Amino acid sequence: MAAQTKKVFEIFVTKVPWTISFKEMREYFGQFGQVKRCMIPLDRATGFHKGYGWVGFSSEEGLNNALQKDPHTLDGAKLQVQRNRRPFTDQKTNKDSEFD
Amino acid sequence: MAALLRSARLLKFSPSGLLQIAGSKSTGPPIGRLYSGALRGSETGVCSRQISRTSGDVSSRLGPYTVGCVRNYAVATEQKEEGSAGVRTKQVQQFDWALAKLDSSVRRTGRITKTLLLRIFHDICRTGYPSGNQALLLLRSCGALLPEMPLQERSELAHHIWEKLQELGAQYDVSHYNALLKVYLQNEFNFSPTDFLAKMEASNIQPNRVTYQRLIAAYCQNGNIEGASTILGFMKSKDLPITDAVFNSLVTGHARAGDIESAKNIFPVMKGAGIEPSPDTYLSLLNAYAEKGDLDSLKQTMEEAESADCSLMDRDIMQVIYTLAKAGHQQHIPEMVERLRHERGYVPDAMNLCLRLITLQLEDTAFYILKTFPTLQSESFSDDSASLGNFFLRHCVNIGMSLEKLGIFCKELEESKLHSSPLTFSLSCALDSKMTARSLELMKMLKEQDFPIRPHYFWPLLTQHVKDNNTSGVIEVIKGMQDLGVSPDVETITKYILPVFQNMEAVRQAFQEAGISLESENFWSLEVRSMAVNNLAELCAKLSDPLFPSLDLSAFRGSLIIGFKKFDDVESMVKITELLYKDERFSKGDPAETVSYLLYKLMDSMSEREVQTQEEKLKNYFNQLHTKNIIIPQNIYRGIRNLLELYNVPELIKNINVLVDPANRGPIGNVPALPRTPRTDGKVSALESKLAELIAENKPIASVLKQTIQALCAEENLQRALELKQQHKQNMSIGAYASLIGLCCRLDNLEEALNLKTEMSQMDSSKALDANKYIGLVKSLCNNGRVEEALDLLKEMKEKDVAVNDTHAALFFHMLNSLVAKGSAQTIQLLLDTIFALGLAKPSANLCSVLITVHLERDDLAGALEAMLECQKRYKQLPRIHDIIVGLVEKGDTALLQKAMDFVSQERGEMTMLYDLFFAFLQTGRYREARKIVETPGMRARPGRLQWFAEKCILGNQLEALEHMVDMTAKLFECDRDEMYSYALRLCYNTNNWQKAEALWTKMQEDNIIPRERTLRLLADILKNNGQKVPFEVPETWYQKAADTKEVQQQLLQTAETKDLPTPAENGAGYQVQLLTLCKKGKAKQAYGMLKDADKRGMAFGPAPYDFLIRALLAEGALEDAMVVRDIAVARVPGFHLSDTANTLIIVTQSKKGQTEDALETLRSMLQANQVPGQLAITRLTQALGSDGNLAGINEVESLLKSLSTSLNLSNMLFVNNKALAHIKNGDVESAVEDLEAIFTDPDNQKFSVSFVFKSVLKEDNDKALDKLSAMAERLANHFACYRPATDLFLQLVDMNKLEEAKFMLARCNAVADQKDILMSYVMRRAQSPGQVGKINALLSLIPDFAEKDSLYPYLMKCHALDKDLQAAKTLYEQIQKEGVVLDELSLKRLAGLYRRNGETVPFSEPPETFKFYAAKLKDTAAKADVTAEK
Repeated sequence: MAAQTKKVFEIFVTKVPWTISFKEMREYFGQFGQVKRCMIPLDRATGFHKGYGWVGFSSEEGLNNALQKDPHTLDGAKLQVQRNRRPFTDQKTNKDSEFD
Repeated sequence: MAALLRSARLLKFSPSGLLQIAGSKSTGPPIGRLYSGALRGSETGVCSRQISRTSGDVSSRLGPYTVGCVRNYAVATEQKEEGSAGVRTKQVQQFDWALAKLDSSVRRTGRITKTLLLRIFHDICRTGYPSGNQALLLLRSCGALLPEMPLQERSELAHHIWEKLQELGAQYDVSHYNALLKVYLQNEFNFSPTDFLAKMEASNIQPNRVTYQRLIAAYCQNGNIEGASTILGFMKSKDLPITDAVFNSLVTGHARAGDIESAKNIFPVMKGAGIEPSPDTYLSLLNAYAEKGDLDSLKQTMEEAESADCSLMDRDIMQVIYTLAKAGHQQHIPEMVERLRHERGYVPDAMNLCLRLITLQLEDTAFYILKTFPTLQSESFSDDSASLGNFFLRHCVNIGMSLEKLGIFCKELEESKLHSSPLTFSLSCALDSKMTARSLELMKMLKEQDFPIRPHYFWPLLTQHVKDNNTSGVIEVIKGMQDLGVSPDVETITKYILPVFQNMEAVRQAFQEAGISLESENFWSLEVRSMAVNNLAELCAKLSDPLFPSLDLSAFRGSLIIGFKKFDDVESMVKITELLYKDERFSKGDPAETVSYLLYKLMDSMSEREVQTQEEKLKNYFNQLHTKNIIIPQNIYRGIRNLLELYNVPELIKNINVLVDPANRGPIGNVPALPRTPRTDGKVSALESKLAELIAENKPIASVLKQTIQALCAEENLQRALELKQQHKQNMSIGAYASLIGLCCRLDNLEEALNLKTEMSQMDSSKALDANKYIGLVKSLCNNGRVEEALDLLKEMKEKDVAVNDTHAALFFHMLNSLVAKGSAQTIQLLLDTIFALGLAKPSANLCSVLITVHLERDDLAGALEAMLECQKRYKQLPRIHDIIVGLVEKGDTALLQKAMDFVSQERGEMTMLYDLFFAFLQTGRYREARKIVETPGMRARPGRLQWFAEKCILGNQLEALEHMVDMTAKLFECDRDEMYSYALRLCYNTNNWQKAEALWTKMQEDNIIPRERTLRLLADILKNNGQKVPFEVPETWYQKAADTKEVQQQLLQTAETKDLPTPAENGAGYQVQLLTLCKKGKAKQAYGMLKDADKRGMAFGPAPYDFLIRALLAEGALEDAMVVRDIAVARVPGFHLSDTANTLIIVTQSKKGQTEDALETLRSMLQANQVPGQLAITRLTQALGSDGNLAGINEVESLLKSLSTSLNLSNMLFVNNKALAHIKNGDVESAVEDLEAIFTDPDNQKFSVSFVFKSVLKEDNDKALDKLSAMAERLANHFACYRPATDLFLQLVDMNKLEEAKFMLARCNAVADQKDILMSYVMRRAQSPGQVGKINALLSLIPDFAEKDSLYPYLMKCHALDKDLQAAKTLYEQIQKEGVVLDELSLKRLAGLYRRNGETVPFSEPPETFKFYAAKLKDTAAKADVTAEK
């Protein structure tokens, strides 16, 4: 509806093991292209993250590289990676963990 | 995890379970086995023999009762429910949800975690007054359902709950006492049965059969045969039936008394009493041997059980293993483990066994069991994520097992590839349970094994300390971090360290005292922050230092902005900005964007006055940035420009404009509106066809003629109708012909009907009859044996494209069914094939059933079966399968039965086949066989199928079959027991069989089932209808019968008349009931009078009635009266406090009355008392504060709620909007605009609604504010592409009928017309209440085509329906038809309702289903459309 000011190249990552923080995620996905933003929302009640997150690449190439690779394995766990359908600006949870 | 377990079991089920018998076909299960002893392959018998042998052997005894309630539950899945449950349960009135959660955890897993139980218990205590049923559920949960809790603690918890709930006014009946007894037994709790009975007696509660049974069990648990005999004597004297449960207890009793011979001797005694020993009887004996460690007798007894057709399930053997382990005979366990068959539910049962063993500190045995878990499931895991034993590790961690032992288990799990990361998982459990020391130990261990330890591992530990503001706790964790060589990162410092200290200095000091090093680079960010607000030059030097670590600007942006505003050191500002722009250390993303955003934020954080006074400094700053070649993106520039326009500093805009990349630098202009898509609609073609119709029948007589003929047809006066037709042949319309043909078919005057049809098509061959008439004709033709013509007619239907829908399928069915009597299967098949082939109806079980019926009517089962097989092949339908199988079972035709079963299981799966067989056996009274079927390993509950049979029984009054089904499904995997009992009760209700109903209730207690409230009400109704006393508390509904009301009113009148005399309800309880009833009827004032009256006489009640009355008074807004009642309650009930709901209502009332200070105070005290306010309270209070202009108040509410760790689901904009209103109220429109704009320039927030602000301002006619807000909305739309505010304002103008202004608004900001979603949702909301159609039309007049007609018309129709405006609806419908738009069925139904309300006949065929049906259908279609769109 609103005119999109800039294009976003985001993936939505689930099954993120608890041992991974956004730093490790960022580092890992950095191999596919420059990572613009990376967020793993925290559960404030427990101090653990919620097991999913978003990684935004600055180019479509990074996004495609990341989507092409399968499986993505981090700390012995397989991550589920998919193209992000809803832009994560919609996710109000990011108040909890504004890392960008 | 759950899904994996389940699918694993099903996998196991399909190849093994049913197909293991030798000699069976590989395509289907062997039918013979289903008849014979289900689990022994050696006994595979011939089924016909078995049927004849067993058909007379229907025992009427009730099935074997379960010993431990755990037997009733099958699946345990590994869950972490606590996390998500935590937040939600806190909310007001959420405890029903919580109870459901508990219940479902039990139903599905057979266990509950202590945390979940306690949380729900506390919620119930805190939030309200518990019902009897809630109490039952809680009590019932304190036994074997808590395998992770030591036995002693479980009983203590049960007592605690019992007392606490009683205190809160829960009423206990016999079911509660029975539940407590069961818990005692499960917890092996030592108590005195006589005292228990005395206690019941003192409470005036009559023990029942189940009570006695359990008391006997209690005596027997201690080997007290004498005690047991006394109770047994009681039972006999009361003529209570002695069931096998009693004998099972006696076996245990004798054995525990050391007399194993007598224990064995119970078996013949039982048989003598006509009761077969059940598997549980054998289990009692097995446990006795296990306690003695007598392996030989164990084995021997197991064999005896096998040969007595009492198959022991895995769960039974697990019980024996548990007993062996507990008695210290571990050496025999491997023998028993070998006997485990890994049948359905093995994993969950074994999980519970492990947990119980670990609780008893028999973890080695538990580990041994763990290793027996089927490795099958790891195949479905990818090899890198095996996680067997998570539950095991978690429990080990939680009970504080020694680190060494835990380490050994982890090592073994990992080495045997059962678990990929056991140690890491254990750590997460320790963290989850906030076990600091244990977590640190585990991390140390991980570190030794070269695993990285990351800062965020410590967050779960820190979270709690931060919440509690516990500095020493935080220090302890940080120290642990340091010991592990981990330095806190920025997030850790800002989120978990700083919040508990006053400032950086305090951190420094505390850390130094604790011996924690501050050299971590992450502390630098703190330093940076403090420098930023103290000295920019120093900061600049620090940041420029190449040794300075990478640090994202977001870590210190806030401080930096403060510094930029505070100091005039432009030189440092420029240097710092340049550094940030060029040095990637300070940005995670694009540095240019980071810096631009900083600029925006800087301007954003400044007020108008600040900008104006610092204009020179800023100008200087921007200019210097330009010289440093700093470039900002266009969109951010626009945001900044917008801010500057607001601040009235146009000069600065020029300075910032130069920073925009020249390539993109456009003129200052509006974002062009999106082009509107032109649309076409079917107007033209619709008009044309209408025209053609008018030409075709331009004789005025036609319509009258038609009406006359139709009236004659209704009277079945064919002759006169035909005469009329003959006279006015020229003026006959199609409709008139159709009516005539319909009548001829009804009267079976086939020839005339065909003549008429020919005449009609001569008149206009393009016209066709409707489907009803066609089907009538087809039926007549068939009945007269003229099948060929009938088939031609069907083809004609297709050719002429006659519209058919679902209702016509029913007509086809009746047509075909009328042919059954004539008995030609071929004719029916031919017709059906043609109907399906032509697509006139879709193949359905109902339609196909005719093909079967024709054979069944002639008792030709083989033919019926063949026909059914054919149906499946052709149409994928299995019509009347139940009837066929019942027929085959009754006849004992095993060959055909085998064939049918093979076929069904091949086509529909074994489970479907087994259910078909199960129902057939139940139907034919072959209960023994039915039981074998339902006990087939792998069988699981299919609620839909069970319901189908239950409903059939209820309809056909087959109590016996239904009762057997209820009984047999006791151990069925995932079977909803309450549901099953409620079926049986419904039948009792229909037949007024209260004795049976009461017996069912007792049996529910025996089976340890918690009835749903619905079931209890049903039971109570049955008892009441038959003049019986209801022995339990009936859950109340808010809707009660009118009769009740009258009764109470009369009593009340009496009370009033005889004021000085003792009232009829002198005792407290009677009064209480009256009070509650009045409250629920909304007669709070009367109740209030009554209470005051009672109080004068010194009567006191429990806390519940007071709370109820307060709530009722508040609901009427009677705040003062409510406060009086509160004072009375405080005086009468020590420790009385208002419930969350009552306090919520108080806040609402106070807010409404404008007593905002009082309301705030109430909120504060609520939060202090750890209560949770309702969402409505916060909304009303904030609104009240907003209209008072009380900004501070809103800020306080906002911060108070932040401390409340749960979200109340408040609107995102509640605080923002009301703060804006408060500003406006205080005459400070600028601040309001500033705040709102700040919100909307953030792209995260662009969809939030500000309607509330506009509405309030419009209502108050505050033109000044409106002007500024309107300017803001336009700015946001034109410069930030944020259209929501403009659209909101536009709609509010429409809503207030300020159409001129709305029009101007639209002209200025035409993108509003494209906000389809917002506009549509406005229409939807308006269409919810009557009298709003004008507003929708006004909107349409301004923006005529924002939505598709077919999505808009239904709402208009809904409006007319709400307004009961038939005329408008008719006009609309005409228009719709003219335009050729298809109206959905829901709207048609609404329209039809309007016609009927006005006593007019509905001129179209009304959709036959309910509103709900069509609403669901629409939703479904919409959802599907969404999915397609997404694809």
